[in-house]
Amino acid sequence: MTFRQFAFNNVIRNKRLYAAYFLSSLFTVMVFFTFSIFANHPVLSGDDMSSSVTNGMNAAAGIIYVFSFFFVLYSMSSFLQSRKKEFGLLVMQGMSMKQIRLMVFLENMFIGFLATLGGILLGVVFAKAILLLAENVLIIERALSFYFPTKAIMITFVSFIILFFFISLFVTYVLRSKKLIELIKGNKISKGEPRANLFLTLLAVLLLAAGYAVALLVEGTMVVAAMVPVIIVVCIGTYLLFTQLSVFIIRRLKKNERVFWFKTNMLLFSDLAFRMKDNARTFFMVSMVSTVAFCAIGSLFGFQTFLTSSIKATNSTTFSYKTSEENEEQNVAFINQTLKEEKIETKSEYTDLRYYPIGQDTFLITRESDFNRFSALIGEETTDIKEGQVMVVEFEGTNFGQTTELLNETITLTSGATLKPKEVLHSKALPATDSYYIVSDQDYQKLLEPEDEQSYYAWQATDGEKGVMAASEKLYEKLPRYEIMSVEYEIYEIMKGYGPILFVGLFIGIVFFVSAGSFLYFRLYMDLDEDKQKFKSISKMGLTDKELKKVVNRQTMILFFAPILVALIHGAVALTALSNLFYFNLFKESVIVLSVFLAIQVVYFFIVSFFYTKQIKASN
Amino acid sequence: MLNVKQVSKIYEGKIAFGALTDIDLTIEAGEFVGVMGPSGSGKTTLLNMIATIDEPTTGEILINGSNPHKLKKEELAKFRRRELGFVFQDFNLLHTLTVEENIVLPLTLDGKKVKEMKEKAYEIAGKLGITGIMKKRTYEISGGQAQRAAVARAMIHTPKLLLADEPTGNLDSKSSKGVMEMLESINKNEKTTMMLVTHDAQAASYCNRVVFIRDGKFYSEIHRGENRQAFFQKIIDTLSLLGGDAHDLSTVRV
Repeated sequence: MTFRQFAFNNVIRNKRLYAAYFLSSLFTVMVFFTFSIFANHPVLSGDDMSSSVTNGMNAAAGIIYVFSFFFVLYSMSSFLQSRKKEFGLLVMQGMSMKQIRLMVFLENMFIGFLATLGGILLGVVFAKAILLLAENVLIIERALSFYFPTKAIMITFVSFIILFFFISLFVTYVLRSKKLIELIKGNKISKGEPRANLFLTLLAVLLLAAGYAVALLVEGTMVVAAMVPVIIVVCIGTYLLFTQLSVFIIRRLKKNERVFWFKTNMLLFSDLAFRMKDNARTFFMVSMVSTVAFCAIGSLFGFQTFLTSSIKATNSTTFSYKTSEENEEQNVAFINQTLKEEKIETKSEYTDLRYYPIGQDTFLITRESDFNRFSALIGEETTDIKEGQVMVVEFEGTNFGQTTELLNETITLTSGATLKPKEVLHSKALPATDSYYIVSDQDYQKLLEPEDEQSYYAWQATDGEKGVMAASEKLYEKLPRYEIMSVEYEIYEIMKGYGPILFVGLFIGIVFFVSAGSFLYFRLYMDLDEDKQKFKSISKMGLTDKELKKVVNRQTMILFFAPILVALIHGAVALTALSNLFYFNLFKESVIVLSVFLAIQVVYFFIVSFFYTKQIKASN
Repeated sequence: MLNVKQVSKIYEGKIAFGALTDIDLTIEAGEFVGVMGPSGSGKTTLLNMIATIDEPTTGEILINGSNPHKLKKEELAKFRRRELGFVFQDFNLLHTLTVEENIVLPLTLDGKKVKEMKEKAYEIAGKLGITGIMKKRTYEISGGQAQRAAVARAMIHTPKLLLADEPTGNLDSKSSKGVMEMLESINKNEKTTMMLVTHDAQAASYCNRVVFIRDGKFYSEIHRGENRQAFFQKIIDTLSLLGGDAHDLSTVRV
């Protein structure tokens, strides 16, 4: 047996021990590879229009690479930690530290090589699945077809071989100058219970509170300015939260004997306190990574709804046509003709919109009968305006209108009399996002000369909505873009342009979220042997299966939900800040995104805790 | 108190191995019985079956007239926790807990009141002379102290039967003596029935009676008279007749 064979056999014949490390490496490679398949996709990188998308993709690939490095490093170091005893044994048999380092290096390169190959293979399959999903969920202009990703394979292979090489070097450096006695005693040496520093505990609370307060209070462009400092403050705060505050709280709980000595609590808390130091780092990473995932998906999703909903909000009819040009009749006839061809039954209304100079600006003034006709068309309530009465209409759903200015102005009639508005009405009847006046039909006759005039036609589909898309395509081809408006088609256009970006965002979010999950799983796996040992000795004393399950479940639950809870709160605050930036309420979107994440986490928890409990029970 | 009737244990595998064959053993209430034998003779298998950790292949074990192996899994765990006490060679104390917390652990699982648990813990700690280390953690105390703490944990719920598996195996001779004297005094004062599995003739000499098994079969049995030293000599003699490997006999420490 040569030394190389020894290192090789050490891996091959000890598969179970290496499995967790191998799988997490494999997973990391797969994620990176899938991502680079998209980043190098001919459709996305081909033409100039999507160059920004490619840039974004490359940046994201860079982030994933850095992230992979730390992930693999973390997995590797905790893996080596659990093998201390084995190293001690080898040193005792006369292996030199140099040989151990060489062995770890060889092992690591071997695992890394297999993980890279395996990850690429799995990645091809995974990419196909993601593409199928993308085609069905998102509207992408040209379908992202599957291709054989030579370039992506090259990039992934080379970058990960380099990554594993450096990690192997790095890890062997970490292994230096450990005393034999430390190695042999390995994890038997008690790390001692972590203690919390009162000052740092208070600092954690303070930093988080300050970060949140700033994030929630600033509005508009100030959000951008406050972003970086808030992120830094919250980051530090979160780290202290897990390393100090959590330890502090658990210690307080332990001091309270009525809680700590109650049934299985003793087993639960004592372990928690001990693992908190190890857990804290995992918790911190997981909660930061999940927060990034929340924010990426939440803001993209929110931004998309922001765009589409503003179109929906400003246009309440299926089609509208606004013009002040000549071939008006001809175009309207064409529209009606097209609607007929596509078998869309509509109700339609027409009016001319007149704009009058009032104060510094020109404002639309409409008459009661016109307003009521359009209100009826979109199914809103009609209103009653008496002679001499004026109402200001504010467009519902936007706050661009100068309602207060309008309330302070007066309308002068030909008779010299002035009308003063008193009430404000909210309506979507007319397609004006600015606020406007309504006067009675009689007063409308007495208005001065208008400064500008526009014809406005609106169609509201009552039947045959299926044809709307087809009709819109014909109409948009023929008519000038600024005159015709079809809500459905405009939204489709936005989705089309936005699709790839949303896809990338979604993908990054998923990747980060799944990585967070595997971090947790890895953390749990590291404790498995110790837990097995512990429960074995307790169950000899008489611990029922129910109690064992309860302790293990709660332990896993805290591990899974403590970081995700923090991430949810962070995410909620971040999304609130974002909605303050856009002056657009992202509440619904935030709730959807956050609850989907929570639901996935719950499912993940049940799966992991089921297998974990099973493993521990099996060893009893 | 304890009735082991015609118990055999066969480990199934590629080659079935009979660990114990037709063992009969009766322990009266308040008795302190030692079980000795060479390595692989089946001592620990016997203890594990009495401790309900393992099940006999044939035969039955009655504790106080009832067979605990017929209990359901949940009930069995509770039975162990309430009726039996265990002392192990490697103490089996949880390193994340203090000595006091380790001692009260069986009671906390039963949901007892904190005050009651504290009283009991300090009472037993006083008897065993470990009151001073109650707040210490398990890695801060010596082996002898750890074994005393383990005995305290095994005794806190006043079990009917205390089972000890090589309790002196990890201890130096002075601590061994201390722990054995302590077990003897508990046996005398509290009338707790005890069963001890050991290699150590010195430890076994504290028992009322020592049973020898060899290759899974009953070999012989000797009773202690008034003199412990004489009993120790008798044990040594029997062991040499038993003819286990030389290293199974611990060196004479007296």
